[in-house]
Amino acid sequence: MPAVLEVEAVSKRFRIHHNRPVTMKESIVRRFTGRHDTGSVLWALHDVTFSVEKGCTLGVIGHNGAGKSTLLRLLCGLGRPTSGRIRCRGIISGLLELGSGFHPDMTGRENLMTGGILSGLTRRQVVSKQQEIIDFAELEEFIDQPVRTYSNGMYLRLAFAAAIHFDPDVLVIDEVLAVGDSRFRQKCLERLAAFRVSGNTLILTSHDTAQISSLCNEVLVLEEGRVAMQGDPEEAIQCYDDLMRQRTEKRAAQLSGGIAQTSFTPEHGSRTGTQEASVCTVNLYDKYGRITNTLCGGDSLTVELEYRLAKPLPDMASTLAVYGETNVKCFETYVASVSAVCGHLTSHGSFRCHLPELPLLAGRYYINVGLYPVDWSYVYDFHWEMHALQVVNKDETPSEVSGVVFVRPVWSSKMTPDL
Amino acid sequence: MSSPTYYLDLIVHFVRCDFSLRYKGSVLGILWSLMLPIAQLLVLVFLFQRVIPLKIDDYPAFVFSALLPWSWFSNGMSASGNLFISNRNLMWRPRFAPVTLVIVNTLSNLFLFLVQMPILVGVMFFYGRDMTFSLLFVPLLILIQGILLVGFGMILATMNVFYRDVQHIVSVALMLLFYLTPVFYWSEDVGENYRILYLLNPIAMLIQSYRAVFFYGTVPEWHSLLLLSGASVAICGLGYLIYSRQLHKVIDTI
Repeated sequence: MPAVLEVEAVSKRFRIHHNRPVTMKESIVRRFTGRHDTGSVLWALHDVTFSVEKGCTLGVIGHNGAGKSTLLRLLCGLGRPTSGRIRCRGIISGLLELGSGFHPDMTGRENLMTGGILSGLTRRQVVSKQQEIIDFAELEEFIDQPVRTYSNGMYLRLAFAAAIHFDPDVLVIDEVLAVGDSRFRQKCLERLAAFRVSGNTLILTSHDTAQISSLCNEVLVLEEGRVAMQGDPEEAIQCYDDLMRQRTEKRAAQLSGGIAQTSFTPEHGSRTGTQEASVCTVNLYDKYGRITNTLCGGDSLTVELEYRLAKPLPDMASTLAVYGETNVKCFETYVASVSAVCGHLTSHGSFRCHLPELPLLAGRYYINVGLYPVDWSYVYDFHWEMHALQVVNKDETPSEVSGVVFVRPVWSSKMTPDL
Repeated sequence: MSSPTYYLDLIVHFVRCDFSLRYKGSVLGILWSLMLPIAQLLVLVFLFQRVIPLKIDDYPAFVFSALLPWSWFSNGMSASGNLFISNRNLMWRPRFAPVTLVIVNTLSNLFLFLVQMPILVGVMFFYGRDMTFSLLFVPLLILIQGILLVGFGMILATMNVFYRDVQHIVSVALMLLFYLTPVFYWSEDVGENYRILYLLNPIAMLIQSYRAVFFYGTVPEWHSLLLLSGASVAICGLGYLIYSRQLHKVIDTI
């Protein structure tokens, strides 16, 4: 397979101006007085080399500030690498910012034309694809309204629909799959899969490692502007998690003087994190609102996390997962902003996650919870298998069922009539 | 991908958008583009025909023939400083050449000028000025002015990214230039000592040429046409040089 995109030893340096001359006078004065700007230098990318084959989907992961966005911008031809070379065979198009180039006062239809023409299509080509895009974005009745009247979701739908319908050879997507409701997101993912099947190349970043592993066949891990590894998704995500742990340990070491470590060691499981924010108790409530450790399969469960902040934090993110005894993930969910859920974070507080029905098979499970900085770059506190949940089933569990989900199988020769 | 049709479509589309946005939601629409020059004309006519008479025949037509090209120039110049910094999201589109914005700005102001042109011709008829074959020079003058504006536009838009002073300098300079350019007076009335100011000012030459064509119905002076073409191509070249050298820094800075 020929490489459609080759990146050779690319580095990008930014000058951080602490006091950039904003006016001409200042810069002239500086030149005469010999006081040169003492800005520091940031290497956003350092000696990055990789290539992407045609038809491949490359995921780029790394914590915030690892250089993902800089790399993607350079790939799109925005700005010049300080050193190194980028070679691309084919049309490259990018979704660096959704709806860039959209004008709020123009209608959806006019903006589609703008987007299409910017992507290199002729007017006629845009017109011929227009209906398909409008259908995809499900905006038939609003398409002739100015975009400023759109809701956020509508705007994103239009922008995304426009971008993926103007097929380029290489599509670069920066963190934009987090748009819209889950049904629309699914539609986008399907469309991207089709895009890939038709032999086009896709490069995307995401914070969602599950999304990366389901979409990509190759993943590049960036750490502080360098390529930590390039490989198949499983290894890469492993590597990304390792890097996250290392960062957490490093930070915990730096902080250990300042923050008193919570003294308890778990009876079961393990705990990591810097403890800048910590989970002090995890309470489970059954459907009657009683504290419990036992859940009746299929009933509702509410998980309450009590947290303590070692220093004031504006916001944090949290995860909640249920794992089986054999380390099988039953599900995992996260909330990107706890303060959006429960308001201003106090030094000691709590928040809940209600799970209306949890159809788990009888057995022993663990609730894993975690608190993270909002950019997910390291871990505040993570409880691994520290909180057990015993699940029992009301009815006799059919002996022929195994796994984690509670089902009632009926075997027969044809469709059961009552379905 | 970078075919001429791509750029043509792009420019045509953006000029169209620019134009429709300018007057969207206003009742009078494009008529507004005529209000400013007409108001300006009325003020100048009142001042220099009634208050301090300049004794120029057909004074309103005399002023109007220079005022319209001047407004094209002045509108184009004053908008160009902001072109790059206020279109950050377009600049970040892959493959989008920011110079497009400069060209679009020039063309959409040219379009206004073209809309106003029939009125100019009407005014000339009204005052009984001779319309001769000299009008054939108008496209040439437009071409020269377009090149000049694109050149200045590239310089101003690029420099303004680094020094926000540029757009302020431009507004002051345009104000001064309006009085240093024989828009509402006759350059021959200026004393010998100051004549050099007009020889160094390509805009003055340009405006004089427009007036020669529209008002006097004569062919513009050959040497000033040559000088003008040379100057506009030189400024455009310089502009492109500055623009292309600084483009990557512009993208990093905005």
